[in-house]
Amino acid sequence: MVRLYFRFLGLHLRALLEYQSDFWVMAAATVLIQVVNLVFLSAVFARIPTLRGWSFWAVVAMFALMAIAEGVGSFFFEGTWRLSESINQGSLDYALVRPYPVVLQVTSAEIGINGLTNIITGGAMLATALAHLDVRWSVGLVLLAVVLPVCAVMIKVSVNLATNSISFWLAGPSPLFAMAVHQVGELARYPLSIFPTALKATLGLVVPFAFITTFPLGFLLGTGSSPWLGLLTPLVAAYCVALALVAFSRGLRRYESAGN
Amino acid sequence: MALVEARQLTKVFRRPDKPPGLAGALRHLATRRYVEKVAVDHVDLSIEAGEAVAYVGPNGAGKSTTVKLLSGILQPTSGEVRIGGLVPQDDRMAVAHRIGVLFGQRTQLWWDLPVADSLAVLRDLYGVDEGTYRKRLKRFDEVLGLDDLMAVTGRKLSLGQRMRADLAAALVHGPEVVYLDEPTIGLDLSVKDRVREFFRELRDEGTTVMLTSHDLADIEGFCRRLVIIDEGRIVFDGDLEAVKDEFARDRILHVHTETRVDPDRVRAVLPGAVVAAGESPLWHSIRFDRFAITAGQAVAAVTGIAAVVDFRIDEPGIEDVIRRVYSGELRLAAETDAETDSEPDVEGSGEPDAVVTAP
Repeated sequence: MVRLYFRFLGLHLRALLEYQSDFWVMAAATVLIQVVNLVFLSAVFARIPTLRGWSFWAVVAMFALMAIAEGVGSFFFEGTWRLSESINQGSLDYALVRPYPVVLQVTSAEIGINGLTNIITGGAMLATALAHLDVRWSVGLVLLAVVLPVCAVMIKVSVNLATNSISFWLAGPSPLFAMAVHQVGELARYPLSIFPTALKATLGLVVPFAFITTFPLGFLLGTGSSPWLGLLTPLVAAYCVALALVAFSRGLRRYESAGN
Repeated sequence: MALVEARQLTKVFRRPDKPPGLAGALRHLATRRYVEKVAVDHVDLSIEAGEAVAYVGPNGAGKSTTVKLLSGILQPTSGEVRIGGLVPQDDRMAVAHRIGVLFGQRTQLWWDLPVADSLAVLRDLYGVDEGTYRKRLKRFDEVLGLDDLMAVTGRKLSLGQRMRADLAAALVHGPEVVYLDEPTIGLDLSVKDRVREFFRELRDEGTTVMLTSHDLADIEGFCRRLVIIDEGRIVFDGDLEAVKDEFARDRILHVHTETRVDPDRVRAVLPGAVVAAGESPLWHSIRFDRFAITAGQAVAAVTGIAAVVDFRIDEPGIEDVIRRVYSGELRLAAETDAETDSEPDVEGSGEPDAVVTAP
């Protein structure tokens, strides 16, 4: 099943690589965005020593985690964003009669090449940040440092899938709601404590993007008001995945195809 | 139990009732109104293994919707489908290996890939072993001329090429049941012939085929069973030949005589026949019931009045029958036992426009 998934992705990668100049422009653009982010952050931290207790490198690690989560989302699961279009045009018909999970056929229907550069720059940022941060590494913490980014990816990808699945109910041709939620996700690159209560509740509970950044790092660094929350991350990730899959399969039952 | 079983299958679509134009769209935002459309209405259908069935009806009759319900793409509003005992909507993976679907209006080939690559992906998806795959491709090539298309990218295929490649794509896993939804739409005649030949081979190999079409030439010579759907309901399900015997019983004799013939004299010797003037004064068209009057009798009757120079006989095809069903002229009873080969009764047959009910 996994092998087939990569086979599907590979099909798009091949088509994509035919436009090589496009590839390099996209790659350069995503790197540039991350550089701009870092310049902005260092400008902010030049005036203040910490952001509610979070150091410069801690926030860089948050940016990195979000970049990795988004990168994996767009490199491996970009098809999610085309779901509303498929529903609108009724082009899921053949996917529904093939012996392969429909949800995976949907998510593998596209490859976002900028995801690759996001993963690489995010990975580099995370490694650098962790090297600068004061973490007392133990076997457990190392294990956790591996598990937490995986959970981060699961949360981001699931929220994408769940919000895009709403298109089964709202018949519009573009995933406006999902895009709006994605934008909200950008805020989660900053420590949760700088936001007003309503936004805290939103990012902590409703769309739990804080479990991509603030909570896992809080546990790793012992920063924030309740670092233990970070331990809930795997549970939150599992919950998000389950919720997204339920939303998708419920939605699929409403799929109406299109008349000829 | 039959291989494909539909019981009381119903699909109701809810469509927004939008008045036309921007103003209408805005009004829809404020007050949402919906109209319900029954696309498939309590359809009972069972198809035995190895059976070839033609499923015909006018545009919008519910043909495609039925196929989508039978293949598990759509969720029925009520009723259920079973394929080999499995519900396709619930056992998607298991059923997928057993069915093949072709929508003539939609391709399943990858747009950016050569046909060969698209087929190879499907081979891996269905887990077809290399030997079987090669054997199938060879057969597809023989009838569909597939080899010429293998290197062509999906987007560059002409409609006819695309349909041939899509047929191969739908059958690459050797399905037991094949639904072909408008498989000849938009094709030119030579390709149509090839594709039809392929259907016949498929049928002869014992594949269960349900062919949906509004081109009736697809059907003749392909299947024995005909199902007619109109406005979501099955209006006829029975033997194709029986339908022709029952409802296409009129023949028309076009006769060219040496001298002018008084139509009334013909009417006198051929009771029940409709005599009309032909394309020239010396031509007449005589419409008669072939079970009441034989063609020989009709010709002999004219010969008794004037010397016959030439004649030809037109036999209406299934097209005529179905056209009359569509236009509401004919009411066929939706009885599954209509396919009995009973001798059609001769009584009350002269009037073609009458409302006829099958026994």
